[in-house]
Order: sequence, then structure tokens, then C-alpha cells
Amino acid sequence: MGETARDIMDTRLYTLHPHTPVAEAAAILRKAREELGRPVFGMIVVDNEGKLVGMASMYDILLLTRPKHIHIWGEMADIDATGIIREACLRAKPILVGDIMTTNVVTVTPDTHLLLIVDIMIKRHIRRLPVLEDGKVVGMVYLSKVFDYFVDQLIL
Amino acid sequence: MIAMSIIDRESVLRGLTVQEAMRRLVIRSTYHAPLEQATRLMIKYKVNALLVTDEEENGIGVLSKTDVMAAYYAEMAVDTPIEAMMTGPPLFCSLRDPLDEALETMRGKGVHRLYVSGEMPGKAIGVLAYPDIVGILYRYCYKCERSLTRRRGAQSSIPEAERLKVHEVMTPSVHSHAEDETLFQVMEGLSSHRLGAALITARDGRPSGIISKTDLIIAYRHRVAPDVPARTIMSSPVLACSQSDLLCNAIQTMIFSDVHRLFVYGEDTRQVAGVLSLTDAARIRSGTCRACIATRVVIGGGSA
Repeated sequence: MGETARDIMDTRLYTLHPHTPVAEAAAILRKAREELGRPVFGMIVVDNEGKLVGMASMYDILLLTRPKHIHIWGEMADIDATGIIREACLRAKPILVGDIMTTNVVTVTPDTHLLLIVDIMIKRHIRRLPVLEDGKVVGMVYLSKVFDYFVDQLIL
Repeated sequence: MIAMSIIDRESVLRGLTVQEAMRRLVIRSTYHAPLEQATRLMIKYKVNALLVTDEEENGIGVLSKTDVMAAYYAEMAVDTPIEAMMTGPPLFCSLRDPLDEALETMRGKGVHRLYVSGEMPGKAIGVLAYPDIVGILYRYCYKCERSLTRRRGAQSSIPEAERLKVHEVMTPSVHSHAEDETLFQVMEGLSSHRLGAALITARDGRPSGIISKTDLIIAYRHRVAPDVPARTIMSSPVLACSQSDLLCNAIQTMIFSDVHRLFVYGEDTRQVAGVLSLTDAARIRSGTCRACIATRVVIGGGSA
């Protein structure tokens, strides 16, 4: 079928488990970033059989630490909030990846055409797509890699 | 309480509409989704209830943390569909309804939230809940030129006696359980007293933690057996204030520390005398001092 997910997918897979505590997940995200040498903002979540059950992102973790009434803060620039971030992080500790992950995950197959992937990413504001083959995750397609591929063609 | 009746007559919320106080993000789920998904949304988005919808996104019910706790107590499987536990139908108000009127409806009907409908009846475009009112009240106090919260360390022009104290607004009783009582017993206590959280005490009677409905739904999601001792899931330390603290400072602590309630110590600092929640603070519908009632200032500009 020509230029497909298979051509640009990253097969170095980092995964989280629904029972992984949020703090551990944050450490895994950091480790992946260091090993891959590029930012890693989210990961797939798989169950014990390796089946994809969700995605967890940096955004999900940040959402958890955000105080419910934060919208009032902006008007209180001079309020002493020392230690509040530490407190918010401590409160997040008992939470597990399964508590905050997104379960409504869009996936593609290795044969999905790159233009279809571009369409999905634009329409649904998605930056990373798991690539599934026979129900198993075999790779990830990142927006940056898609763009790189198009840049290579543009500057030929 | 005399203070309460004065405040009720002249609310600083007068002149505001629902639109100015509601949250626009309505967390929702369809009726056939499992309770497990509902608990995930409650934890992730820090909401006390979900709007339950049909396939066309029409609101058909509400699932609160209380309902999820009931499922935990009944040892129902986490994959039970939401419709088995939801209550309904949801109560709606309109964008341009006066805020005071909406709060009256909430009080009259004994509900904690109203969903807001726009052009399309039955479709929620916002939600109005008690704790969100506190945000408005607090913002109002903060902007007030006599504010004591605005200029930290500066002298306030409001005499001490004019400022509301925690004991005037708090619920003057507290429900507690011993650390070795089971989650079943804690849930029975919360349910029969219609409370959102219980104080957990150590053998010597000192407060050692809190179990809120949020802690219980997290335990339910994590498949913790409901016959484990309270100490297994309690959160500590106990966030507390003194009954003589200023209400505005206590509200500030709750907003900044992202907690819904503070336990209140009485004269004897070893004894917990009551609980102050954001809902208590919202119910009085006043700013945090009596000045705004005396001068009949109306929030949102102008004066009465």
C-alpha cells in the first residue's frame, strides 16, 4: 500500500501497567526520555497479557495535581503558596495509572497509510498512535516522525 | 444562628446569574458504562458526581460518589453498569437564571448540584455546585478594598468582631471511627449521618486520619476488600484549623490545599469540635466579613 505506519513507527516500546503508581509512571516517562533522547509525553498502558487498555500522558498526571479551584488563583498573585506543589504531589501518590488513563484509544495498523494517519492526528488532536497487529501493540507513530517524513519529501 | 439569618436576607450573590458561576466542563458518562469507568472520571477530574446520559447525550441521571460508595458497600462488581446505581432525572437550571434562585432550588430540593441547559433542553452545557460558589465569594472578598486576604501582613480596616469566624459557619459536630473499625463500619457511619468524610482516631482518641468518600471510591477502584481496617486507606495528616480562626483564612487553606473540608479544633486543641466544608462556606452566601452585608454591596458592580 506504499507509505504506511510501518515505515515510520517506532518499535522501541515503553509501557505502563494499570497498577503502576503515578509517581513510578512519571519516573518511567523520564527514563524513556533519557534513553530515546527526545521528549516522551505519553505511553501506552497494557494489561498482564500485553493487551492495550489505555494511554496515560503527562497531561493526565498534571491534571491530577491541579487544584480544583485553581481558577481563582490567578487573581491572587501575592498569596504565599509555598509548599503547595509538594502537597499536591503527595496527594497524587496513592493514585494508579489505571485511575487516570484514557481508555478511549485510537489505534492504527502497520498498513494504515500515512495520509490517513495525518488526517486522524489533525482531526482528533492526537500526537501519538499505537500500531496494533493481531491485537498486540507492535509500534508507535509519533506526530514528529510523521512530520519528519513529509519534510524529507518537501525538501527533495 | 442570628448571623446566618442576617446574611440570608442580603446576599452578596445578588445580581449574578448562573452563567457567571457555573463550570463549563461537565463530566459525563453513558448509562451502560461500568462503575469502574465512572470512578476513574471522578478521580481524574475531581468531581463528586457525573451526569449520566443516553446515546444522544441527553441527561437522564446523576451518579454521585455516594452512589458509588453504596455499590462498594453492597460489594457490587466494578463492571456493574452505571444505570444500576444512578439516581435521576438530573435537575436543570437555565444559563440566565439568577444565581440566588438556583441556590434556593438546590437547598429546597436537597441536591448538591444543578446542571445548566442552553438552547437544547436536556443537554447540559454547564454545572453549578456549592463549592464553586465559594470561589466567587472568595474572589469577591479578595477584590474588596477592605480585604484582609489581599494585603498579607497589612492591617485590615475591618474590626475583628466584624469578621466571620470558623465556629459561626462550621457543622458543630464530628463523626469519628476508630482506626481498627472496618470500611463497612465507616461507610455505615457516613451513610447514616449523610456525611462526606469521617475522622479516624487512634487508640488514645487522638485524630490520626480522615476517610472521605473520595478515599472510599479509590479503594473500590483498587479492589480493596471493604472489611479491612480504616487505617489501611485513611489519609493523614488531618488538615485542621481552630474554631476561632477567621473564615476567610480557613477558606483560603481549603482552596490552596485542594481539600473540601477542615476539621476544627475547639478551645481544647486535643478535641475536634466540628467540621468546616466549602459547602458550609457556600451555604451562608456571604463574603467573609459582615461589612458587605452592612453596606449592601452587590457583587458584579453597583449597589443595592
